[in-house]
Amino acid sequence: MRLTPGPARAVDLGGVDLFDLDLYGSGDPHPVWDAMRAKAPLHHQVLPDGREFWSVTRHEDVCRVLGDHREFTSERGTVPTHLGQDDVAAGVLMTSTDPPRHTEVRRPLGSKLTARAVKSWEDSIRGTIRRFLEPALDGEPFDLAERALLLPAMVTGPLLGIPEKDWAELVQLTAMVTAPSDPHFRLGSEAATLAISHHELVTYVKEWVNHRRATGDEDDSLLHHLMSVRPGGAPLTDEEIALDGYSILLGANVTTPHTVSGTVQALIERPEQFAKAQADPGLIPNLVEEGLRWTSAACNFMRYAVDDVQIGGGTIPARGAVVAWIGSANRDESLFPDPHTFDITRANAKRQVAFGFGPHFCIGAPLARLTLRVFFEELLQTFGSIELAGEPEHLRSYFIAGMTHLPIAAQKRLTP
Amino acid sequence: MESSEGQVALSSAPASLVQEISALWGEQLGAREVGPEDDFFALGGNSLTGIKIIDRVAQDYGVKLSVRDFYLAQTPTRVAELIEQGRAGR
Repeated sequence: MRLTPGPARAVDLGGVDLFDLDLYGSGDPHPVWDAMRAKAPLHHQVLPDGREFWSVTRHEDVCRVLGDHREFTSERGTVPTHLGQDDVAAGVLMTSTDPPRHTEVRRPLGSKLTARAVKSWEDSIRGTIRRFLEPALDGEPFDLAERALLLPAMVTGPLLGIPEKDWAELVQLTAMVTAPSDPHFRLGSEAATLAISHHELVTYVKEWVNHRRATGDEDDSLLHHLMSVRPGGAPLTDEEIALDGYSILLGANVTTPHTVSGTVQALIERPEQFAKAQADPGLIPNLVEEGLRWTSAACNFMRYAVDDVQIGGGTIPARGAVVAWIGSANRDESLFPDPHTFDITRANAKRQVAFGFGPHFCIGAPLARLTLRVFFEELLQTFGSIELAGEPEHLRSYFIAGMTHLPIAAQKRLTP
Repeated sequence: MESSEGQVALSSAPASLVQEISALWGEQLGAREVGPEDDFFALGGNSLTGIKIIDRVAQDYGVKLSVRDFYLAQTPTRVAELIEQGRAGR
């Protein structure tokens, strides 16, 4: 999807299909969301097969849907690919669990991922990012979007306890989950692609756990930690460990690459912003927040209404599915003036909800923020200018907003 | 994929095996009638049912199906053929 919207156009909200993959692969959803926020803050769509869902697009409503589990439950699934069939992992997987159970599983994991805890990783992350950028140093075309798919695995592999030989395969599998219809990732049908990737990821974690049990090895990795947490006094079942491990792998891999690519693209298109950040590295933390707002890689999450609920000037009936569009909330003009302007000095960029909101706020956010800050510090330190070296290509997914290709050519910075 | 253009058509699996696989699917997909050409995903199959079916096939027939082959096969008839191939290959 275009991150800088094209010219304003009339939008027929009655006929709009928010699950049309072309809208994200080659289209321009921002004018659609702009119209929804202005004219239909609670939008209803019926798919050709009869499944239906409601959408909220305003910042305030998105926060309410994601934040209040009493009104909007996660227990029947949280990704719109599962719309209409209760998630098979519902109530087991941490992301598909409401408090208090959710809190008991999440707390011990979260304590390993606080800003303070991940700070000790900064030097090793910097080394990883230098290695990542090295092939771009000769000024030859470098496909940032394609290569960035591997970046989170390079950064989080050691933290999770995943050996380097497995990274490429796991990255391929997690990409299949998020864009099962994208020709880069599809195997057979969309359903087959999803099943194969779920199956192999869950099996990977199960075998990892079995291997650990067999050898008795212990380490400080996050997957190992999952084996030892005791929510409510009892350890997680093997199925819970496998599903939460799957979820952590997914969360680690599938969003950060697109924030990297989309933010670099925004800087290429706006040399004055690039120059500003280069002149004052103190702006980089805010550049990261604006990049998160701008790219909104996790485009939406889904909840189900518990009872009839009033929101956005209308009513969602009990058990109705509601999609909270994060990509739209982050361009809400009532909170972000000139929302479609990329501005690294934006005063309230930190109010973005790219990591979600409420109990399911991204558990890896401190690590993602650190990785992005170090990435842009190194990028701006190393390169004097960056240009496009080919056509960007966008991911065919209504769930993850991102790019599959962003060829760039960078020139080394002469005066560091 | 191992198949190539010059390869002869696969021998179809015995009807009894197809029937057994259909029955196994029916059992795993919530006690329902499953026909030999029914589509796994149209029947509501997913990765968790897939994991159980592949485990059962390994247990009952001693054949370890490839995850990818299983989901790309998609019908009891073609899964029975995979089992036949697996047996032949031992």
